Amino acid sequence: MLRKLEFVLRRLLTSLFVLVGVSVITFFLSRVVPNNAAALYIGPRARPEDIQRVSIQLGLDKPLPVQYTIYMRDLLHGDLGTSIGTKRPVLQEILDRAPATLELLFTGMFLATMLGVPLGVLSARWQGKPLDVAVRAISIVGVSMPAFFLGLMLQIIFFRNLDWLPLAGRISNDLRFTNPLETITHFLVLDALLTRNWIALKDAAIHLVLPAITLAAYPIGLIARMTRAAMLEVLEQDYIRTARAYGIRDVIITYLYALKNAISPTLTVIGLTIAFALTGTFFVEIIFNWPGLGQFTVRSLLNIDYPAIMGITLFGAAAYVVINLVVDILQAWIDPRISLK
Amino acid sequence: MNKKYIFSTLLMIVVLTLSACGPTTTATPLATQPPAPTGIPTPVPPRVLKIANTATFTTWDPVKSFSTEAAYMGNMYEQLLRINPPGSAEKYTPLLATSWETSADSLVWTFHLRPNVKFHDGESLTAEAVKLSIEAAKDHAGASFIWAYALDTIEVVDDLTVKFNLFYAAPLDLIASSLYGAWIISPKALAAVAADPNYFEAGLEAGTGPYMLESYTPDQEVVFQRFDDYWGGWQAGQFDTVLVEIVGEALTQQQMLEGGEVDLVTRMPEENYAAFKTNPDYNYYEEQTFFNYVGFFNTLRPPLDNPAVRQALSYAIPYQDIITVGVTGKGTQSRGPVPQGVWPWSDQVNQYTYDLTKARELLATAGYPDGGFSLNLTYASENDIEAAFAPLIKDSFAQLGVDVTIEPMLWSQQWEASKSDPANAQDIFLLLYWPTYSDAGSDNLWSMFYYTEYPFFNLSYWNNPDFNALVDEAIATTVTDPAISQAKYIEAMNLLVDQAAGLFFMDVKYTYIVPKYLEGFEYNLNYPFTQYFFYQLRTTR
Repeated sequence: MLRKLEFVLRRLLTSLFVLVGVSVITFFLSRVVPNNAAALYIGPRARPEDIQRVSIQLGLDKPLPVQYTIYMRDLLHGDLGTSIGTKRPVLQEILDRAPATLELLFTGMFLATMLGVPLGVLSARWQGKPLDVAVRAISIVGVSMPAFFLGLMLQIIFFRNLDWLPLAGRISNDLRFTNPLETITHFLVLDALLTRNWIALKDAAIHLVLPAITLAAYPIGLIARMTRAAMLEVLEQDYIRTARAYGIRDVIITYLYALKNAISPTLTVIGLTIAFALTGTFFVEIIFNWPGLGQFTVRSLLNIDYPAIMGITLFGAAAYVVINLVVDILQAWIDPRISLK
Repeated sequence: MNKKYIFSTLLMIVVLTLSACGPTTTATPLATQPPAPTGIPTPVPPRVLKIANTATFTTWDPVKSFSTEAAYMGNMYEQLLRINPPGSAEKYTPLLATSWETSADSLVWTFHLRPNVKFHDGESLTAEAVKLSIEAAKDHAGASFIWAYALDTIEVVDDLTVKFNLFYAAPLDLIASSLYGAWIISPKALAAVAADPNYFEAGLEAGTGPYMLESYTPDQEVVFQRFDDYWGGWQAGQFDTVLVEIVGEALTQQQMLEGGEVDLVTRMPEENYAAFKTNPDYNYYEEQTFFNYVGFFNTLRPPLDNPAVRQALSYAIPYQDIITVGVTGKGTQSRGPVPQGVWPWSDQVNQYTYDLTKARELLATAGYPDGGFSLNLTYASENDIEAAFAPLIKDSFAQLGVDVTIEPMLWSQQWEASKSDPANAQDIFLLLYWPTYSDAGSDNLWSMFYYTEYPFFNLSYWNNPDFNALVDEAIATTVTDPAISQAKYIEAMNLLVDQAAGLFFMDVKYTYIVPKYLEGFEYNLNYPFTQYFFYQLRTTR
């Protein structure tokens, strides 16, 4: 137990260094890009004296190391600065949008795991058979198909042609008049569950389907292929052959014995994919007009809104670090052979 | 065994996938709800207008507002006057002012305010509120310059009369009807802003307009409710609620319109508009806009400091191809920097034609018979239209032996590069421009080509005293003698075209698709970002 705690603390400390490193790189990179933040803040018609005033107001007249120190000091107080584009606190902008992004991310990755792992297992179990070929083909399509194309195709098929699923957005606007959803956590599916608003629950859930599938397509392929490879290796082990000789049911051998030992590399991939999918979510959000961090990120980048870029980057880096930490702990928990050292 | 095993695995996949699917209609329609018990009135469902709009808020502060939020500001706030579309019987629609007059020298403008007007926060409209609003705009509006040069003082004559004293005879009626920097704001809110400059940024408003803000979810939706005490009153068919979904993707907007998810959109893929021309369910409008595309030659650097070279290059622009490729033919070749339909546009302003022979002759007279020089051209990479037509310029100039390097840059970087060191900046700068209010003389002409030490939008860095003098004279006579003013503007524009300080590509048209069940839509070129005034719209459903 103590070892585990020590491991977590050590990883947290390392993560802190990573975050500081990210903040340094992002801060200095965003400042060396040729632009005038004060002029951007005040608008194109600003007079030179106004730009000068805003420069002082934003602290841009100070040397870069001093600016960075001030930024980090404010960061420790939970202040990520004010967005140049929206004139609102960056932290607030992120907090307003993060639940939508995380809801989509978690759903997509849940879907990817729930589909990718069984598909990988099936593929390995039926190696060389038509099922294996089909799964491998699905994997390749999933990995190689661009999200914007898949999203568009899904919209055309399931909204325009079949009218089964909504086109875009997070929840139907009509609900505000018929079954308004009380937001508690800002995760709409969860909120609908908590408030027992079943109509809103169904609505929020069906809005998630297409963006979640689009987001999950790549990880499904990746996870399926990784699971297949790991399973193939494990299924060749002596203890599996022994289990079969004992007449143990195939399902038990595959899912209980083999998968447990094969899941470790898959878990690593899932962890990395979640972190990767966080930025992938931004593209999917734009296709499905999902009100998460995607639109805000794109706008911030286009406007060189450096406080917003800093905030989003730190948010992404923190998410990456936390997800990897959780995966490491999970791996150790599932497979005791892995040392926490 | 094996079949069971495959079946159970596949079943899990199928169930997981299908469990989330279902019909798209989720909300229980009010019409199908059980009838209310006798004696209790059935609630009347709100009449809702749904719009998909690309516009987001860069600020909620109506004083600072100088960007895309104008799409909504004009429904929550009002100016003293609204300028009508070109060709209207009356030039202005009185909003918060019912009448106005000017002194003989046009240096004093007196506005009589509409009585019994309430702000959304319950305050009454008074002359003091007008004075405070305009003073705030003059001091720190995003568009403060529209007042700063002309306005001296504002006097409160009585509760409903306000007097503007000017430094020179400026067209105050035009300025007071501006889309930016002319909103009249509740004095209570202005006092709150004085205490906290970010007061509005929490998503607040304090106007007199027909619609009040109900809620705003960043990048998602804006909901407006009708203001019951609106001075204009309410009629059958007008909307109780306006629900705006912020949708950045043009194709998504189109699908939402066709799928019936929204009533109106603001943007569709250009090539897809044509299909609506013959669709019996929609009205199709193709309208002139405030927008035009210009290019600036860097007149500080050789060989572009030579007017003959600039003229030659102006003849080498394939104008019609640019209109076809850039805006799918929805545009007209510009006559100078003033867009068609906006004061002081005139068909007497000259245009260049695409004539490579003439271009070669001019280059030869300038000492460049085979071209032999290179230019770098910058454009805003966010602008798809500029990206589409910039290569046409490169191809055409190449036929003269002039090599063009195209440099797409983020707008902010393109802007910064052009301002920081003009002598070493770009050779050609492409720009989409629009005037702040309906006077492209004191805006487009002055902002883009009048010389000042610190360039405003004069990214040609052109300094022509004759042009400056003509523009000065034209501005000074806009109110007192519009005919003289226009003549001076025409002379100035012809001088500008002749000297070819810039390239004048095209005035852009916009398309609007309005379902036939919506009545009252009236396009107003003067308010390019307020695509829809909700109050005008009525449904026949």
